[in-house]
Amino acid sequence: MSATTHTAVEADHGHHEESSKFHIFVQLAMILAVITGVEIVLIYLPLVKWLVVTTLVVLSLVKFMLVIFIFMHLKWDKLFCTILFFIGLVLAGGTVGALMAIFSAHDSIPLKAQEIYAERAASQ
Amino acid sequence: MSTHAAAGAIDHHHDHTTTTGIPNKKLFMWAFLASDCMFFGALISTHLIYRLHPTPNQPDIVGLFSLELTSFSTFILLMSSLLMALAVNACQKGHVPATRKMLLGTIVFGLIFLTCQVYEFSHFVHEKGLTLSSSMFGSTFYTLTGTHGCHVAIGVLWLVLMYIRTFKPSDGSPWILKSVIHLLVFAVVTVAAIKALLGGVHALHEFGATGEALSAFVHHELPAIIATVAGLAGLVFLGRDRKAPEFGEANAIDVESMGLYWHFVDIVWIVIFTAVYLLEYL
Repeated sequence: MSATTHTAVEADHGHHEESSKFHIFVQLAMILAVITGVEIVLIYLPLVKWLVVTTLVVLSLVKFMLVIFIFMHLKWDKLFCTILFFIGLVLAGGTVGALMAIFSAHDSIPLKAQEIYAERAASQ
Repeated sequence: MSTHAAAGAIDHHHDHTTTTGIPNKKLFMWAFLASDCMFFGALISTHLIYRLHPTPNQPDIVGLFSLELTSFSTFILLMSSLLMALAVNACQKGHVPATRKMLLGTIVFGLIFLTCQVYEFSHFVHEKGLTLSSSMFGSTFYTLTGTHGCHVAIGVLWLVLMYIRTFKPSDGSPWILKSVIHLLVFAVVTVAAIKALLGGVHALHEFGATGEALSAFVHHELPAIIATVAGLAGLVFLGRDRKAPEFGEANAIDVESMGLYWHFVDIVWIVIFTAVYLLEYL
């Protein structure tokens, strides 16, 4: 294959890829809007609380991943960009998880707050 | 320079001049966003911890929020992300007019989001009595959503600067003064439009959808309406493309870096929308 033909094929391939990206972006925006709609409807459904919370977290995670991999081009970029971002993301997620675990413990409730909660419970 | 002639000539996912193969601007932006994740992680966990252990002066939160407004804001921000992605796509193909249109759309959507936030904050402060110091919920809520709002405002400013930059002429003729005027007109339109819009919403709340509301709106917001209309006319005038721009496919990395920042603001809002708003309704 001559160099000119090779370049033309590459350019055609690039054009096709850019054109398909446009459709991917529009479809993704629609998917994100639908997921957001589902999230809003979900909170009004008479379902068990843990199930709704889990579904909301999963749906948010799906939206998050779709945006970073498609809108932010991680899918097409070098793996190093993904690794770099996930280092920050894992550290942030780990911090949130650890703090939530620590402060969810009964011993973490401030003494003053414990007194207030006890008074509230007694008065009800 | 013909921007279309060079279309497709640049590999936007690989830079042969760096050891990592990643453009330095993109690498910097990903490193910055990774650090910003930790910043927002700290703010979100602080808010959630105080929701786990509410303080005695906790307000009625479900009665406070407007899910309709927040859902609308979320939808607007998601759609702004689509426009931003399309702006990057257009710039990578060297289509400057399309890039400009998409950037303008993203700016408008970003401003609509900010207007919703200004309205929400103003409503909370004046009608619900929730301030930064009224309760622990107020402190963590305003700090978290306010920090996100600041990120959006910085993003809008960056978008405006990038939009103005697309008009830099390739023949080297002076453009700084025109750019400063362009920026000032943008600032005037933004402030005046937000003021007029909020005035309109308050008039609707006070009088309902009546002629009285319209006359009150025009009476109180006439200077803001005039400034908005005049500013928009100024933007149309300044946005005329008379000379060939220097901006083109080679600037795609700048638009892409800005796009990364904008999408990050969007993903942070995805988390805030669930963690701060939706979970309150359970």
